[in-house]
Amino acid sequence: MNIFQKFYLTFLVIFLASCSSVSTDRTNDATAISASATGAYSDGGITSNNVLYFAYDRSDINSAGRAKIRNLAKMIKDNDLSVRVEGHCDERGTREYNLALGEQRAKTVAELLIINGVPSSKISTVSYGEEKPVASGSNENSWSKNRRALVKTF
Amino acid sequence: MNFKKLFLITYLIIFFPSVSSQLRIEIKGGVEESISIAVVPMQWNLEIPQEIFIHEVIKSDLESFGEFNVLPPRNMLSLPTTKEEVFYKDWRLLGSDYLVIGNIEFTEIDQEIRVSYTIFDVVKERVIHRGSVLGPLSTLRKMGHKISDKIYARIQGIPGIFSTKIAYIDKPSKSDPNYNLMISDIDGNDSLSLFSSPQPLMSPSWSPDMQSISYVSFEEGTSRIFIQKLSNAERRGLKLEKGINSSPNWAPDGKKISAVLSKSGNPDIFIYDLELSTWLQVTNHFGIDTEPDWSPNSRNILFTSNRSGSPQLYEVNTRTKRIKRLTFEGTYNARGRYLPNGKGIIFVHRQNGVFHIATQNLRTGKIRILTDTRLDESPTVSPNGNVVLYATKDGDKDILAGITLDGKTKFVMPSLKGEAREPSWSPLID
Repeated sequence: MNIFQKFYLTFLVIFLASCSSVSTDRTNDATAISASATGAYSDGGITSNNVLYFAYDRSDINSAGRAKIRNLAKMIKDNDLSVRVEGHCDERGTREYNLALGEQRAKTVAELLIINGVPSSKISTVSYGEEKPVASGSNENSWSKNRRALVKTF
Repeated sequence: MNFKKLFLITYLIIFFPSVSSQLRIEIKGGVEESISIAVVPMQWNLEIPQEIFIHEVIKSDLESFGEFNVLPPRNMLSLPTTKEEVFYKDWRLLGSDYLVIGNIEFTEIDQEIRVSYTIFDVVKERVIHRGSVLGPLSTLRKMGHKISDKIYARIQGIPGIFSTKIAYIDKPSKSDPNYNLMISDIDGNDSLSLFSSPQPLMSPSWSPDMQSISYVSFEEGTSRIFIQKLSNAERRGLKLEKGINSSPNWAPDGKKISAVLSKSGNPDIFIYDLELSTWLQVTNHFGIDTEPDWSPNSRNILFTSNRSGSPQLYEVNTRTKRIKRLTFEGTYNARGRYLPNGKGIIFVHRQNGVFHIATQNLRTGKIRILTDTRLDESPTVSPNGNVVLYATKDGDKDILAGITLDGKTKFVMPSLKGEAREPSWSPLID
């Protein structure tokens, strides 16, 4: 057989294989298994909440908010409390980006608490992004309530 | 063998107009130009009554994205189950371009169900594929999806995606106060909660072997990335760092995960080595870097950054760490994903204050807005690159919707209970 013939036969085999085909497939009933959280963390045990609100896509705090944080800082120091600051966003924008924005909000509040004398060792921060809204509804009324930082003391 | 004679015969086979089957049909102009196919009810050769009708599973699969128009059995002139019973003229008369017949039997040897099927090209009057699917009776629906995949591949020339799955997050409702990490078939059937928690769950992503899912859980009071095996629900938490631990996405080799950590004070892109359990920092900027996605060739990671003042998409070379900005149109381009061929990306694009899904050609830089709904996010592409699934709103309700990348067919994910968000399309596993 010469090279042309070899090439030709290879081509023939490939071509015929592409015309009509035969297949055998297999399915199995491997089902996935469920699990659930064991409740390592719960929102319970928190004595008071204080909320600060933010403008859209912003993490800075206005003067009314700063006054609120000053009072909070005093209360925290007087009672020797620990603080958990949670940052939240409205639903606009992507979820992971909002998680980052929520962290900036929580950190802004934490920094103002530290400036007002709360030891940084008493403060932890967490961002929930847009995952825990307090108001449902795709309108400014709901959005403005959801763009918040929660100061939880315990 | 007389070689010249063989050559002549082949010449006739190849160039006689009624033969070639590699024709790739292009749909232009939408549903009215869809491909007509007849899927005949398959012969049921089992003692027990039939509950799932494979021809119905195939019909619903093929019609999902508007590319096919499936002839209902009531319009058929005959219901053939063997090749001998097929009269092409009848099917041509009904306007069917293709025909599928088959039968379902119990195999004594394998103690399993066998669905044998044949796909015909009605116009060219020939068989284009004969196949069978074997499996337990409980997988009858899966068998239907396998056959749909084969039909799709033989006719469209690209892989079918009806056997793939989607993962998504179901948000708490009145009936279930928990967040649920769900998986289901792409038609919404066979849904199952993989993980349930009273605290938020986010960002599901499939391992390339489809055996595991990574996601973010707040069950410990802070965000943490977990990997869960589908087969036994075995969970593994990635090494926890201070601050945000989120946005996991698998490398194509399945050995690494790109993710976001804010341990350095602000969110940056990191790579987690699953064998060594160590984090390696990839980007380092005082702004927000987030939402990494590995390129199909593993060389680059796509990510969102606000380093220019507004969220835009960038690409970082994992070896040289060199960063290139990809998007320039508009002031909000985020949560990008590569198309499977690596030649384009899909992402969230804000236009006049409204969030849409857009696609950009990476060579020309040209962007095209795909969706006209509002608050669209979390786009995910089918592994054959044809369909985009994304999260949007129906009133105040979170729903999943889809659109073909050519923009011709739009659909809403059917039969999902609850409110779904953050869809993630599984890879294509044979």
